[in-house]
Amino acid sequence: MRILVVDDQALNCSLLKFMLEQESHTVFCVSNGKEAVEQFSDINPDIVLLDVMMPIMDGYEAAPLIKKQVSDVYLPIIFITALDDQRSLTRCLEVGGDDFISKPFDKIILSAKIKAHSRTRELSKKSFEQKKLLELHQNEVQREHEIVEHIFKNALVEHLNVPDIIDYHLSPASMFNGDLFLVSPSPIGGLYIMLGDFTGHGLAAAIGALPTSKIFYSMAHKGLTVGEIASELNNMLSGLLPGHMFCAATILEINKSGRSVNAWLGGLPEGYILDEKGQVKRELESQHMALGILESYEFEDTVVHFEVENTDRILVFTDGIIEASAPNDEFFGEQRVLEIMSCSKQAKIEDVVKAVYEFTGDIEQQDDLSLALIRCKATSLPDDEPRSFSQLPINFNIQLDHEQLKTSDPVVQFVDLVCSIEGASEHRSNLFLLLSEAYNNALDHGILGLDSQGKDTEEGFYEYYIQRADVLSQLKSGYLYFSALYKPENQSIVFTIEDSGSGFITKRSHKADNKSHSHGRGLGLLEEIASSISYNEMGNKININYCVNERASST
Amino acid sequence: MSLNKNFSSDGKLFTIQIKGKFDFNLVQAFRSAYSEIGDQTPKVIIDLRETEYMDSSALGMLLNMKKSLGDSVSSIEIANCKPQIKKILQISRFDKKFDID
Repeated sequence: MRILVVDDQALNCSLLKFMLEQESHTVFCVSNGKEAVEQFSDINPDIVLLDVMMPIMDGYEAAPLIKKQVSDVYLPIIFITALDDQRSLTRCLEVGGDDFISKPFDKIILSAKIKAHSRTRELSKKSFEQKKLLELHQNEVQREHEIVEHIFKNALVEHLNVPDIIDYHLSPASMFNGDLFLVSPSPIGGLYIMLGDFTGHGLAAAIGALPTSKIFYSMAHKGLTVGEIASELNNMLSGLLPGHMFCAATILEINKSGRSVNAWLGGLPEGYILDEKGQVKRELESQHMALGILESYEFEDTVVHFEVENTDRILVFTDGIIEASAPNDEFFGEQRVLEIMSCSKQAKIEDVVKAVYEFTGDIEQQDDLSLALIRCKATSLPDDEPRSFSQLPINFNIQLDHEQLKTSDPVVQFVDLVCSIEGASEHRSNLFLLLSEAYNNALDHGILGLDSQGKDTEEGFYEYYIQRADVLSQLKSGYLYFSALYKPENQSIVFTIEDSGSGFITKRSHKADNKSHSHGRGLGLLEEIASSISYNEMGNKININYCVNERASST
Repeated sequence: MSLNKNFSSDGKLFTIQIKGKFDFNLVQAFRSAYSEIGDQTPKVIIDLRETEYMDSSALGMLLNMKKSLGDSVSSIEIANCKPQIKKILQISRFDKKFDID
């Protein structure tokens, strides 16, 4: 221990120094309060022995000034005193003294007091260090939570906002939510909706929400089925989550008209289809185990399909709602939810939530509470963004000989080439149709010389394609020429398809009509979709004009 | 290009899903898919959500299916078409013969 002795009598100083050094302490002596205060921080003592009566500055004055310089760790000040009147001793305590040692000094008492205060000082030091460590830790955890919270917010924020269709409520039992509710538009104008509930709550439960939402959104953008989405999520979660964790989920797809629903139902409490008045029309009972349990070969992606009215609503919730407990341990239960929904046409999710909180009273929320009400309305697709078109004239040419005609199926490849022209890729399906019709006509009738007449009957239709494969495999000569010329001035493409045959196209064109023949529809479709088409005199060459800017062509 | 088929868990719905290109290359696969429909008169859904391309041979295949199935199914719906595919079906007046959602 480093001990500071403050006494104006040199004898006292040297006596104390002698006795304390014998006990292997380091001793510093100063002769009045002022010196003690001034040199305190340089000496940095563990214990101060302080005389009361001194010139310049006495002990009463020095004690508080010394204490002021120490902050966190306990510094014992022991007054050296010959005084024994109560008032003086009381004053010593009032100014910050912790103990007394009286003159003349008794070696044993001095040693005992120094030891006792050393121990207290050590304990105080230790607890101060622990406190510092704890604070450091707390700050770190706090910082990590903030980062994770930020990531969660961003990961789940892609939420499509359609308040006229979806009314929902999520309230996590802790900072992080083990329930998740995702909504995404489908590329064909409908909506995908997923309500999931991970085992437990808090950060551990919420961690699976990140990859789940990423997969859900990316598969929804591709317009995949709810069964495929469920299967993909199951594969990911069963690989990721520990054995005792899984995610109960309902995944819905509602089509653009709001009349047709596909649902994959795995492990959540029953959902309900409610009619206009809030009466249950149909129960949506869970069909499968929750996501993240089964191996991919055991997993079932079968879905439930049902038709709904535009006034119907779908109600889904997690077990946090049903199992919310009142002070007497009674559960809230699905019956109460249904009663609330049926008591008014305008019943909202908010009404259920309010009732749950009234029911549970002061009891702390045990699990994440989530529920959603989906109105089966037609969705309104957002308008397409303006597109840009290539400014360059571009020309593609391909000539295929008879061997290449046998082995290749070039239409999709040619469509891909044409779609590399900026602005054309939106027209992929139409371009395929145009080129496929023209190519197959040229090949089937121009080069192979096949006749469509037999295609009128069902058997004839299949035989036609068998015969086609047969004739094609024996082809000995012939070629087919393909070209596409893009004209930037009117954003249109001229396709030319020419075959080596002697001409097959008759002047009479086939308008698309409602006749039920299985053939003869091709040329009609061509005429409807192309801006214009023309043939050469011989009938072995077709020119198709197609405008990729539908806004320009419609004006 | 591929074709998937499956019955719903209650056997009332038979779905054929076609990915990528719907043309004569699928003639055999498509025909054999609907040949297993059985006698439960299910509703049939041709799910075209992942169909990018389709030509007149696909239209012929759909008509053949309708003729062949007749009353052995309760209805045939062509579902989840992308806008351009839907337009092809409309131009061909398929909305008169099929439910197109």
